[in-house]
Amino acid sequence: MSRAIQIRVSESVVRTVHVEDGVQSPLEMLPILAPDRMGELLAKELEEQGFTRDGDKAIREDADGVTIEVDLKTATVTARIAAKKTLEESIDRRASVGVERQEQAEKNLRDDVVRELDDRVAAKTEALRKEVTGKLEKKLGDLKKELDGAVGRATVEALTERARSLGNVQSVVEDDAGNVTIKVKL
Amino acid sequence: MAADDDDDDLIELDDDQIEEVSPLPQVAQSEADLLMMARALVAGPDSNDDIWSLLCASRQLPAKIGTTCEQLLGETLAQSWRALWQRGGTKPRVSHTGQRGRLWDRYQPVDLKFSAQSLQFLRWLVNTPFSAPASTLKGIGAAKLELGDQLLVYFALDASRATPALRVIAQQPFVHSAPLAWLGFAPYMMGGKIPAFDSLTTGAGPILVEALSEELARRWQAGEVAKRQMTDPAELVAMGAAQDAVLEGFFDACDKRGRRDLASFVIDAVYPLLERNIIPVPGQLDPTAPLSVRAGARASAGALLRALVRWSEWDQQHRGVRFIDDNYQAAQVMLGRFEKIGSAGVAKVQGWLFDLTSLTPTLPDEPVNPG
Repeated sequence: MSRAIQIRVSESVVRTVHVEDGVQSPLEMLPILAPDRMGELLAKELEEQGFTRDGDKAIREDADGVTIEVDLKTATVTARIAAKKTLEESIDRRASVGVERQEQAEKNLRDDVVRELDDRVAAKTEALRKEVTGKLEKKLGDLKKELDGAVGRATVEALTERARSLGNVQSVVEDDAGNVTIKVKL
Repeated sequence: MAADDDDDDLIELDDDQIEEVSPLPQVAQSEADLLMMARALVAGPDSNDDIWSLLCASRQLPAKIGTTCEQLLGETLAQSWRALWQRGGTKPRVSHTGQRGRLWDRYQPVDLKFSAQSLQFLRWLVNTPFSAPASTLKGIGAAKLELGDQLLVYFALDASRATPALRVIAQQPFVHSAPLAWLGFAPYMMGGKIPAFDSLTTGAGPILVEALSEELARRWQAGEVAKRQMTDPAELVAMGAAQDAVLEGFFDACDKRGRRDLASFVIDAVYPLLERNIIPVPGQLDPTAPLSVRAGARASAGALLRALVRWSEWDQQHRGVRFIDDNYQAAQVMLGRFEKIGSAGVAKVQGWLFDLTSLTPTLPDEPVNPG
């Protein structure tokens, strides 16, 4: 008759996970002036919005962890968010088995515990990823408005510059709807 | 009594009055199944056979077929030209050289070659019970296909389009060897290696593409409408990648051979979408998927629109062709075909493409009937 014994397996894991998400989109820049000049005008507008110029890029890191990078050469914006978290999980499990099966049962129990720990970490990582995705998604509407505004102002500036090259600019009037009238004396 | 009356009615005929009737060709039952499958595929929409029943049945076939079966199979496959006429070849159109007429008026007669691979493919169709779980079915490997073989594969995909067998057939390496299959059924053939499309722009290839042009346009248009109902971003990304590669490969092949007219089905596919303002944007992608994956999926949905933008670049080139240039006639034909899209249509398509990659894309408001 076999003797029953109790086995106990205790495992813990400490893992640092890194999650990120991002989206890239073109900016609607009209080709009024040469691409380089259009990029310069956009950079100037973006700098007023808190962006920092770094070569062909204008970058801003917001307090909520979202990094916005505008490529002035290709007129594309990339918004990305990343997060890092240290996850700690531990499992303590016991089981009663016959003494003759102790070794195998302990191995099986440990395998189960390790698998469950991995699953828990994966689930928490995915939850963190969803959290950062949600944060980024919420921001996109406002970001689009902000960038559309900067692109619009850069476009008006480009039009004015173009008008200056044609003659003497008499007036630049912008109405509430955003329409701009530039009067040029040739 | 009745039997006696019948005997009285019998009239004796002289030998010269008796017409000799040639006996019906006899084939083995397995060969009959093979022929029935071939006839159902070639007949296509005109077939009286229930294709799903044929595909569900499974029969072991001997290694060889008899000469009678060979002859009958040859006669069946020879009906492929007729099948092509019925699918769109009879409509009078203007060829790329400006010649007006039906397909057989516009082209010189040319052979449509079938190889032994057609027989292998038919054997596989007859042998495979498509109602069984896909994982249990034996596949058919890649092969070098003649144009006729490609057409048979296309017919098989078309015949099975309303059955679960479509995805199984479309996933076979053999089917992936057929450029014509990619052109017609790219959304179902994701993941395979896309072959070169040169065979469709030389020899009998252009005749096939022209005959199937309307069908291809309808198929691509329906595919765009279906994207609005898709929810899995990964599936949309894979589909878009396959469509992009197919259209790019086919456009390159057409360009190389001076047969841009063969890509006209893209114009015919996009035009109804423009008319009805149907942007191929997926309605509700899985909101739990990463934003980067969803954005990638939306961008992938614009494969056909990107092809139209390439057509518009061709259109600009055609406008620059002078009447003293060699390709003036072809350019005029192509300008005529693109006219219905026009600059307004191109601007709209570019707007749609911009919206697909926007930070805050537009969502479709309501489902659309593909018809």
